[in-house]
Amino acid sequence: MILSEDYLQNLFDKTLPHLHSAADCGVVLEGSIAEGFGNSSSDIDFLLIADSDADLPTMPSLLFLDGRRVEVRTRSVRQLAEQFSAITTAAHGGPGAIPEDLLNRCQRLLHSFPLRNGELVAKVKGLMSVDDFRTTVREWWAHHARQSMRYALVLRELGQDEEAAAWTEAGLLQAVKSWAAGRGETYLEPKWLPMQLDRIGDDPLSARYRTLASLDASGLDPAAYLTEGARLMADLGVSGAAPGAGQITVARADGVTTWQTGDRVHVVRGKQDVFVLGDRAARAWRSLVFGRPLDLVLAAADAAGAPQAGPLIARFLRFGLVKAAWKGDGPIVPAMPLAAPPGAVTPPPSTARPLVALGGAVAGDADAIDLVPVPARRFSAAAMILVWSNVLVENAREDLVGALDREQWSVAELSARRMLRFALRGVLSAYGVNPLPPDSEVVRALSLLPAGAHMDGIQAEARRLETLTIDSVAGGSAALTALDGFVALVRQATGAHGFPSSFGSSDGWRQTLEIGYDWLRLGAHLDADLPLDEASDLLSSGGAQPHVATT
Amino acid sequence: MKSMTENLRVLVTGAAGLVGAEVTARLATAGHEVTALVHDNPVLVRNDGSPLESSAVTCLSGDVTKPRLGLTEAAYQALAAGGLDRIVHCAAITDFGLPDEVYQAVNVDGTAHVVELARAGGIPLVHVSTAYVCGERDGLIRETELDEGQRLANAYETSKFRAETLVHKAQADGVRAAIVRPSIVVGEEHTGVVREYKNIYVVLKLATEGRVRSLPGLYEARLDLVPVDYVADVITEVTHRFEEAAGRTFHAVGAPLTLRDFSDVMAEYPPFQVPRFVPPTSFDAQRLSRRERLYYERVVTLYASYFRRRMRFDDSHTARLTTRGAPERGQDFLRRIFDHCLESGYLGLPPADDTEVGARPDGTGAQATAVANGTGPAGSDAIGAGR
Repeated sequence: MILSEDYLQNLFDKTLPHLHSAADCGVVLEGSIAEGFGNSSSDIDFLLIADSDADLPTMPSLLFLDGRRVEVRTRSVRQLAEQFSAITTAAHGGPGAIPEDLLNRCQRLLHSFPLRNGELVAKVKGLMSVDDFRTTVREWWAHHARQSMRYALVLRELGQDEEAAAWTEAGLLQAVKSWAAGRGETYLEPKWLPMQLDRIGDDPLSARYRTLASLDASGLDPAAYLTEGARLMADLGVSGAAPGAGQITVARADGVTTWQTGDRVHVVRGKQDVFVLGDRAARAWRSLVFGRPLDLVLAAADAAGAPQAGPLIARFLRFGLVKAAWKGDGPIVPAMPLAAPPGAVTPPPSTARPLVALGGAVAGDADAIDLVPVPARRFSAAAMILVWSNVLVENAREDLVGALDREQWSVAELSARRMLRFALRGVLSAYGVNPLPPDSEVVRALSLLPAGAHMDGIQAEARRLETLTIDSVAGGSAALTALDGFVALVRQATGAHGFPSSFGSSDGWRQTLEIGYDWLRLGAHLDADLPLDEASDLLSSGGAQPHVATT
Repeated sequence: MKSMTENLRVLVTGAAGLVGAEVTARLATAGHEVTALVHDNPVLVRNDGSPLESSAVTCLSGDVTKPRLGLTEAAYQALAAGGLDRIVHCAAITDFGLPDEVYQAVNVDGTAHVVELARAGGIPLVHVSTAYVCGERDGLIRETELDEGQRLANAYETSKFRAETLVHKAQADGVRAAIVRPSIVVGEEHTGVVREYKNIYVVLKLATEGRVRSLPGLYEARLDLVPVDYVADVITEVTHRFEEAAGRTFHAVGAPLTLRDFSDVMAEYPPFQVPRFVPPTSFDAQRLSRRERLYYERVVTLYASYFRRRMRFDDSHTARLTTRGAPERGQDFLRRIFDHCLESGYLGLPPADDTEVGARPDGTGAQATAVANGTGPAGSDAIGAGR
């Protein structure tokens, strides 16, 4: 120890007046100094052991004495016994299921230095066999090492060499900690690892570890580093992470669903986040068959028109859209040493505007896995309104044409306004505005849209058309022309320019309805508000084409 | 009458079928002496694909469509007078889209012939029907109900309805019988394993591979899927405890899954296409592409009625009788079914080049006419002493 027992006894004497009742307690020093590590800045951690069944508070007392931070915890014998037995209970869920904090507490107690009432301290330490505890810690580290190395192998197969090397580093550290634990070095914190290895003494394995402790130090390229790392890991006693054909499979990530509208593939995470895939990304995504070896998945992606899909699949993994599994041993859940497993990464939201077109969310490029910048339910609701708005524009136009034929000028005016407003509802929805403002406000609501949306021309024209009067054949004809031009402009701006022609043929109308049903399917999954009051008539009428329906 | 604790002598018809083989295996394991009536398939294969080899099982070639089950007079008399303790009648045609006379011959006449044997020998009969004798009724379907004036959707349902009616009439004449009504029989409860991919599986394959993209159906419609092992357990227990079961009907049903459940679970599999369910009133087959229309006409129409039904099956008789708990209900079971289909390669492989639309949708590559032979909600078994 870097501090003498006399010094420690003296320090505890100074601590004692600050404590409520420490009489008859066992007292130990725990932590890095007790373990034989530590330095001048290390804390002093005292644990008071009360020979009772009491429920003593967990929060430590903090003191500053002799220029050192002194932390004092108190536990009853019963609490410590429970702590030990909790390890056994947790281990039933597999070695990785034991919480790090629990393991740490037990380790610190077992390796503590007794200062008072040594008999009681010995009794408490005797509650856990040192050999059993070594085995537990060794298996605990081995579990994490195995997961890290497996994940490194996944990343290598996906062409992510640098990341694979980083996880190899993590895995090797965990593996050498496992190996050291088997030799009695069970202290959890990795920061004293060099001293732990020194204490174990010369060993070819620790020498090999030192040369492979990091990619940089090894002087190897990432691929060779991983190969050497996997070999060392096996030699350190960690099995189940050797590279082998067909070992890695793809697995389901809970709560992830795929919805295609037209040709566009959307992946919804947790009913919350929508990712829109570019064409190549979609082909790679469609190749992910749960349970299938990763190499076969990559080959299938290649055959489906997504060659070298590794980086794409790596992004699917990072975003938590799919998992990797080790055949016969469940999903791979890697964690950096003493860190929680990294959760799903969320990329910054897509800046594509408008964010949704009739056929789906707007994707950047062929490799895009873009996060739609609005929540899934709003996205789905906006998309459905976009579709129905376009349908209803056509419907209103038919009404307008009919009214003009019969010279019903006021009916024509109302139909013209409906046509205008439906078109604008489409514009707002394409930009993700949802719920929509009332119809009377849709023209003014265009000011909600970002400057980049170039709405100035549309807004000016909308204001003009909103006050349009129709009172003659010539006026009606001019209004129709103006509205058609306006709708074309709007559709150009919102990527719905394919729409008018889709009404021109029964085939086009069929495709339009299919896209409508595609969106309804996603809406139903998300319990989104369906614009059914508007759409239901069209759908339940057998989806009759407006042109046909009005003749 | 022997009780369940004694060794019984049992005749199982349709013993080579999916359910029949599992029932035969259970009875043999329980120490009973089973005579397995088979048509042209003398090898009994269990649901997991393993051959059923047991000294307790004797295969007997026969044909339920024929009088005396196609047996010689002597063999028939030996059966009738040979001290059989039970008949378990599993044989049936469950395929959809076959000529009406096939259903009549196997499902109706076959049952009549089996009932005749039960009558002649005074043998207790366990008749395997289908929960779908309820036809297109809505709401709660009770085990005590049969003829409620319902519309039956197809020749399969009609034949099973008639068969069950025959059993009821025979009961009135003194034949002792119990009826088990499975719903749509699918893979094993905990593994999803199934011996053959028929009936609902064919539709799932067409839909998930995107060959059929639009289906006429209601999101709230329910399909009841039941694991084959549960069905076999219920039939076996009814056979064992015939004294308690006699005169009653037992629904062997599982997870009532809505089409929305199907849609949501299918969407969890990246390679799967999720069909659009179009309200039947809005569905127009003429709008389908030429290829999809062919699949629609040859396969989907056979099932269309099931995509709009919203019935639920009450199974309180079964719950009171059986010791095994009801199978897990919900989406997890559906996931298991799909997972096994992927594991076995039935689903998840790139769709074969389907330029030849006439190819059988289950990939067996038979002639175009065979497309219609996707099987229906299987109450009992097609293979065996049926045809």
